[in-house]
Amino acid sequence: MTAELQATQPTEAAAPATPVARLRHPARPLLGLALPLLLAGGWELVVHIGWSNGRLVPPPSRIITTITDLARTGELGRHISVTLARVGIGFGLGVAAGTLMGGICGYWSLARRLFDPTVQALRAIPSIAWVPLFILWLGIFETSKVALIAVGVFFPVYLGLMGAILSVDRKIVEVGRIFRLSGPAMIRRILLPAVLPAYVVSLRVGLGLGWMFVVAAEFMGASEGLGYLLIDGQQLGKPAQIVAAIVIFAIIGKVTDWLLEIGTAPLLRWQDNFARTGGAA
Amino acid sequence: MLSLQSLGKTYPNGVHALERFSADIRHGEIVAIIGGSGCGKSTLLRAIAGLDPASQGSAVLDGESITAPHARIGIIFQEPRLLPWLSVAANVGFGLSDLPADQRRARVAQALNRVGLVEKAKAWPRELSGGQAQRAAIARALVTQPEVLLLDEPFSALDAFTRKDLQDHLLDLWAESRPTLVLVTHDVEEAVVMADRVLVMRPHPGRLFEEITINLSRPRDRTAPLFDQFKRHVLTALDRSLDRTMPEAQGRGDAATAMWW
Repeated sequence: MTAELQATQPTEAAAPATPVARLRHPARPLLGLALPLLLAGGWELVVHIGWSNGRLVPPPSRIITTITDLARTGELGRHISVTLARVGIGFGLGVAAGTLMGGICGYWSLARRLFDPTVQALRAIPSIAWVPLFILWLGIFETSKVALIAVGVFFPVYLGLMGAILSVDRKIVEVGRIFRLSGPAMIRRILLPAVLPAYVVSLRVGLGLGWMFVVAAEFMGASEGLGYLLIDGQQLGKPAQIVAAIVIFAIIGKVTDWLLEIGTAPLLRWQDNFARTGGAA
Repeated sequence: MLSLQSLGKTYPNGVHALERFSADIRHGEIVAIIGGSGCGKSTLLRAIAGLDPASQGSAVLDGESITAPHARIGIIFQEPRLLPWLSVAANVGFGLSDLPADQRRARVAQALNRVGLVEKAKAWPRELSGGQAQRAAIARALVTQPEVLLLDEPFSALDAFTRKDLQDHLLDLWAESRPTLVLVTHDVEEAVVMADRVLVMRPHPGRLFEEITINLSRPRDRTAPLFDQFKRHVLTALDRSLDRTMPEAQGRGDAATAMWW
C-alpha cells in the first residue's frame, strides 16, 4: 500500500513536465534568433543611414543579394552540391573506418593494445599537417580532399565508440551473462544499445569536424565548392561573397547536424537527460 | 538438490574471500545467508550463479556442476539492473527471446500481473520507483521459471515499508511454484521472516559459522514472541561470528589460527 503510494510519485511529477516542455518548445528557437537578428538589423541600419559604407563588412541586404545572384545563375547550387558530396563521402569513409576500428579496439583488448597507441600518436598530429603529403600521394583533385575530411572524421568517431564500449556498465553486461547470451547476441542486445548515445554524439562531433576540414581542403586548389567561393571572394575583393559562403556553411552545417539528430532521436527516446525534462528553464 | 561442496574463492589479487563452504540445500527450501561485510556471502552467491566460478570445490545442482550461468538458476541483484533502453515489458521478457512472440507476450503479461506492474508494461525503467523496479527485476528472473533463485541483498536499497512489502510479495510468489531460494542478506529480520534455514558466515576468510533452522510456520508474524526469539538467536550468532577472540564453532580454533587473527 505504502509502496504503491510512493511508487506513483515520480511518474506524477514527470507527467506534467512533458506537456509544459511541449508548449514551450516552439518559442525556444525564436528566442535564440533574437540576438543575431538584432545585430543584423542594427548593422543594416548603420549602413543605411550612412554611418559606415559597409564595404568590408557588408550589410545583410547586400549578402542576400549576393546569395540570390549566385543562386539565379545556378552557380550556388553547383558549389553547394560539390561541397556536400565531398563532406558526404569523407564523412562516410571516416565514420566507416572509425566505427570499425573503434568497435574492434573497444571490444577486443588485444587489438586495443596493438593499435590504440599508434592511433593516439597519429591523433596528436594536426590533421591539416597531412595536406601536403595527401596532395603528393593522392593528387590535387578530389581524392586528397576526401581523404583529409575522412581523417578529420575518423578520430572522434574512433575515440567516441571505443570509449563508449569500454565504459559500458559491467552490471548490465552481467545481466546478459545471466541470460546466457552468445557473443553476437551480447553485442546486439547489450553493447550496441548501451553505446548508442555516446556514438551518436561522436558522429555529430565528427560531422562538425568534417565541415571544418572541407574548408581546409577546398582552400588547397579547388575550382568549385563553398571553400572556393571564400578564396575567390578574398582574391577578387568581394567580402559579400565571403560572408555569403560563411552563412551558407553555417546553415548547411546546422541542417546536417539537425538531420543527424532527428534521424537518431527515435533510437534514444529512452534516455532520461537534462535537456528533455526541460532543464533548468 | 543444490549441493555446495567445499567452495573456496581466492581472487587474482590474492584476497581470500571464501573458504571450504559446504551446504546442501533441498529443492524448494529457502536459505538465508547472513554475515558481516566482507564475509564472502556475495562471493558465494556469484559462485553458485556461475558468474565468478569458485577456485576450489564446486556447486552442484542435481548432479550437474555449475561453472557458468545456468538456465535453471536465476539471480536478482541488489540493484534492479533493468536495461534502460527497453520498456518494462521487454525487460521482463529479456530472457525469453527463444520463445515465439505470442508465447513470450503471454508469459510476460502473466509475470507483470503477478508482481502488480501491468499498468507499467510500456513504461521506461526510469519511470519506475525503486520498489517497482525491483519488482520488475523479480518478474524478469521468475519469468524463465528457474528452479533456483539467488538473491543478493535484493531489498537492501529500499526503504523499510517497501522492503517489508516486497518480502511478503516474494514469499507469495515463492508459494506458487516453490523454487529454491538462496537469499544473501545482512538484515536479521529479513532472514528470519523468509528462511527455513539461516546460515551465518564469519569473515576473513568467509566461511560457515553457524546454521540455524527457523521452524516457524508461514505466514510468519513479525511481532510474535517466538519470531523475536529466533531473531535474537541469529543476532547472537552474528555477534559471535564477528568476535575475533571467540574460537571457531567448527573446531578449527587451534593456536596457529588464533594467532593469525
